[in-house]
Amino acid sequence: MKRKVFYFLAILMVCTLSCSDELDFSQTDDLEITPTFESSVIFIESTEQLINLIDGSEILSQSFNFDAFSSNIFAERVIEGELTYIIENTTSKPFELIIEFLDDTDVVLDTETFNVQPAPTAILQRIVAYGDTGKSIDIIKTLSAFRITARNLGDNTSVSNIPNPRISLQSSGKFRVRIK
Amino acid sequence: MKVRQLFLIAILWVCTYANAQNKQLLYDFTEVPQSLLINPGIETDFKWYSGVPILSGLSFQIGSSGLSAGDIFAVDGLDFNDKFRDQVINGLSNRDEFSGTQQIELINIGFRSSDPSVFYSMGMYIETDFVLYWPKDYGILAFEGNAGRLNQEFDLGDLKTRIEAVSVFHFGINKRMNKKLTLGARAKIYSGILNINSTGNKGFFVTREGQNNIFSNTLDADLKLRTSGLNAINIAADENALASTIIKRALLGGDLGLGVDVGFTYKFNEQTAFTASILDLGFIYHSSDPKNYTLNGATTIEGVEIILPEALFNPSRDFFQDLVDNVEELVPFQENEKNYLTFRPTKLNASLRYSFGKKLRAKGKDDCDCDIRSTANTIFPKYLNSLGGQLYVINRPRGPQAALTAFYLRRLGHAMAIKGTYTIDKFSFANIGLGVNFQAGPVNMYLMADNLLAYQNLADANYASLQLGLNIISWGRK
Repeated sequence: MKRKVFYFLAILMVCTLSCSDELDFSQTDDLEITPTFESSVIFIESTEQLINLIDGSEILSQSFNFDAFSSNIFAERVIEGELTYIIENTTSKPFELIIEFLDDTDVVLDTETFNVQPAPTAILQRIVAYGDTGKSIDIIKTLSAFRITARNLGDNTSVSNIPNPRISLQSSGKFRVRIK
Repeated sequence: MKVRQLFLIAILWVCTYANAQNKQLLYDFTEVPQSLLINPGIETDFKWYSGVPILSGLSFQIGSSGLSAGDIFAVDGLDFNDKFRDQVINGLSNRDEFSGTQQIELINIGFRSSDPSVFYSMGMYIETDFVLYWPKDYGILAFEGNAGRLNQEFDLGDLKTRIEAVSVFHFGINKRMNKKLTLGARAKIYSGILNINSTGNKGFFVTREGQNNIFSNTLDADLKLRTSGLNAINIAADENALASTIIKRALLGGDLGLGVDVGFTYKFNEQTAFTASILDLGFIYHSSDPKNYTLNGATTIEGVEIILPEALFNPSRDFFQDLVDNVEELVPFQENEKNYLTFRPTKLNASLRYSFGKKLRAKGKDDCDCDIRSTANTIFPKYLNSLGGQLYVINRPRGPQAALTAFYLRRLGHAMAIKGTYTIDKFSFANIGLGVNFQAGPVNMYLMADNLLAYQNLADANYASLQLGLNIISWGRK
């Protein structure tokens, strides 16, 4: 009987005594989760036919609400990023395009101006960085609206010989955010 | 709030460190009364037994396939973010899982009927069960984002998890039909304390080149998270009534369900037996406190789209808000309180056992050389040695999960029995387990531990389990 008790205790010890490499669970404090997301931002398009119908040079001067970046879920986490603009003009006219970044009190935070040549012209592309290597990220964090002004620097009669002539602004944002 | 957080952390800890587990050591270990809970059709020779409340059956099991604690938490001087990216984000697949089970018996008693071929057992235990399959595409999206991953579809179906706490009231009958066959069945009433499950999700998120704008983002989602008991527990935590709420829900005040276990032992001859059982063939109807969340629909967006002259005709139109409203309408996030049904994680056990060596006298008989067949409680004698193989299959959200075990059982008289197992499953191909049953008079103790090789370095273990218990057993004479 004593021997069996010994066996039992020995097995118990084998089962309970164990070794383990040193672990440091506090390393989770060092974990950085900073994914980069990208998405389209705003798209504006007008045909040359419509532009020719508008009197004067200013074909658009209007504010467009855009609260995506100033929402808490984004503004509190964004670290850095960039906005990409692609402007394609297949009309016969040159344009000036001004994009003003407004905060929620309509104060202008930043301005991007584009001078666009008439067709045939290369696609105009601009990438603007925000954060440590670019403009202040606060512009993005407090952005509440875009005021977009488009001026026709040509005439109101000519029509491009390119089929379906139009001017379009494409834009996308690519931002790194801190989740942890 | 602090209590709630502590409670949730405790639940997660218990779940993480505690798998509707494979109890290959306990299965067909007929010296231990708790083996009746894994196969109600084992051969029993007890007159009666009573488990020591709370201490009669404690079992814990943890498992994480594809990852051990040491892989990422070792003090090795490597950057934690690099380890996390290599081992977790890029290392795990959506079939890797983190799972755990904990079972605590509160009551377990058994007694032989006036018909000596019939043995009854009954009791109550609380079981928590957790499984989370690594949501790989969610992980990539959260850790890396969608930038630079044009046309890559992130599979929203990767989210599969189930967390459950349930108390089980059971009553079992074990009947020796003849010299060859013993049958058993156990009826169960479940009282669900907590259920959180998100399975059967479908859909994807993808970024592609846009038609108008630079990118298009498409979300096609059919996601569902169902909970029951969580809301009640949260409220109770705020009102400092957590314990009473859990006790109430455990004592048939939660979600009710029914289930059954069935099993048998068939002896081809005196030394060779085949056993099998199906456990938890049942369901729970979650009606006491359901709170469900759904995200269902599909949409593609390319940012705010302004096509002139529309903006000129309606200068006050809020295109951004229109976009947000459109997304919310097409892919609504909704809550409901609909009742729902869940099926228990059904388990299948089977074994083929060959016994050999010296025969043991029947327990409870006088120390004599009388014929073993003269006892009423056992038809066949026990042998000093048993050798065989076992199969275990459990139904999991990603389909059945199996384990194969080879075992050797050695009896050292009636006072002690040792069972060694070698198991292969998705967690380990080198799982060696050892169980010991010790009988000191009427006092019965058992201790079983799994994956012993991993005890050399627990940090590198993918799996561990422990079962222990204390019973009072009487064989007596009938």
